[in-house]
Amino acid sequence: MAETGLISLGATDLLIAAALVAVAGAVSLLLGLRLERRLGLAALRTVVQLLLIGHVLRWVFALDEAWAVLGIMIVMIGAAGRAAIQRPSRTFTGIFAESFLTLLLTGLVTTLTVTHFVIGVQPWHEARYVIPLLGMVLGNTLTGISLSLDHLLEALDRDRSTVEMELAHGASRWEAAQPPVREAVRKGMIPIINSMMVVGIVSLPGMMTGQILAGADPLEAVKYQIVVMFMIAAGSAMGSIVIALFVYRSLFDKQHRLRHERIRTR
Amino acid sequence: MGARLRVERLSVSFGAVPLFRAQSFELEPGAVLALIGPSGSGKSTLLRAIAQLVPSSGEVRLDEESPEQIGWPRFRRRVIYVHQQPAFVPGSVAENLARAFSYRSSSSSFNAAEASLQLERLGLEVGLLARLAHTLSVGEGQRIALLRALLLRPDVLLLDEPTSALDPEHRDKTEALILEHVHGQRCSALVVTHDPEQAQRFGGSVHKLGTPGVADG
Repeated sequence: MAETGLISLGATDLLIAAALVAVAGAVSLLLGLRLERRLGLAALRTVVQLLLIGHVLRWVFALDEAWAVLGIMIVMIGAAGRAAIQRPSRTFTGIFAESFLTLLLTGLVTTLTVTHFVIGVQPWHEARYVIPLLGMVLGNTLTGISLSLDHLLEALDRDRSTVEMELAHGASRWEAAQPPVREAVRKGMIPIINSMMVVGIVSLPGMMTGQILAGADPLEAVKYQIVVMFMIAAGSAMGSIVIALFVYRSLFDKQHRLRHERIRTR
Repeated sequence: MGARLRVERLSVSFGAVPLFRAQSFELEPGAVLALIGPSGSGKSTLLRAIAQLVPSSGEVRLDEESPEQIGWPRFRRRVIYVHQQPAFVPGSVAENLARAFSYRSSSSSFNAAEASLQLERLGLEVGLLARLAHTLSVGEGQRIALLRALLLRPDVLLLDEPTSALDPEHRDKTEALILEHVHGQRCSALVVTHDPEQAQRFGGSVHKLGTPGVADG
């Protein structure tokens, strides 16, 4: 087998793949699920969005400019920041900025650590490495942030009387906030720990599969995957902690009070 | 022991609407003041404002020191607000009673023997200490919550209907223990009550909270 065994796909190949979606559509029709339109739209969006990003990436790769890579990174972080705050059923003013800053910090720290110290990418903004790696960190960190955020806001809302009881007996804001903050960070870290447990047994990660399809030696692909898993673990842990601290700062004031009225239910 | 609590034009607003007229009064060490008023007049909120748990305007002073000067956690440890519906952290009753002694604002340590003694005086069995706090009945919980505050030997107790879930026998025991602390420790108490007789038993001083715009009695 050739080392660069990547088989290029043509339009016909994609059409054959589209036939697979048609199978799903047929199931929907047959059972009267009325999902055909949504399925069609979803398939169309998949094609359009991916083609679009494919062209953007090709353009950025060719441009090879730090500002372009940085621009793409900021857009990605912004999108992830929005996605992270969609899931929690409670919100507060400034939540997007905090989610964005959390992802900016954790995304850049973990990605640049890996590209600079592990892979040794030269120059630092080599898009081929930086953008996919950042994407993977963001995709997973946003789940951690979302879970941490959801739990903390729910706990501060639901267990408000317990938190206020602690404050009323002389707890500092940090002493009163600690139990829910710790639990929130725990909740945020669990998914990545779970996937590290079963990786390679239950699931073959997409990146590794992709590298193997592209002709890479499986062991090389595995080494990259290990780095990626660790990077994601660090990202999720940092993200869960940082967002919890941001929420803590926003919902407890200097007078050591829980500002419960700042929490809004959607 | 004991400190003078001074409340000066204290009011709480939700949005632009004040919940009650600005309140001013003083509480000397060893004094009990019953706080009465119709439902929704803001009695609980007034207690929470004194304890600095909700944003408010006006002044609260403990021996002429502001909460800021004392430090908010330390201030709240000296002026303890006891909620009508007791809240507990997960764990046993003993852990809940000992909890506040682990805060940085605390300078004393938990005395299990004293806790057992007081528990019996409230008509509760010592075995209760090992029970999980969330399995307590409302009446038991109310007394444990009071005990939790008393053990910290506060200067001021802010009690929100402290005997609302108790039968007359346990109510009397609870009132006796509160009064003992008031007289023995020179602690003062501001007690929200619906019962004029309870106000009488606590010594008769009454502070009325009316609806906004209505003159106070």
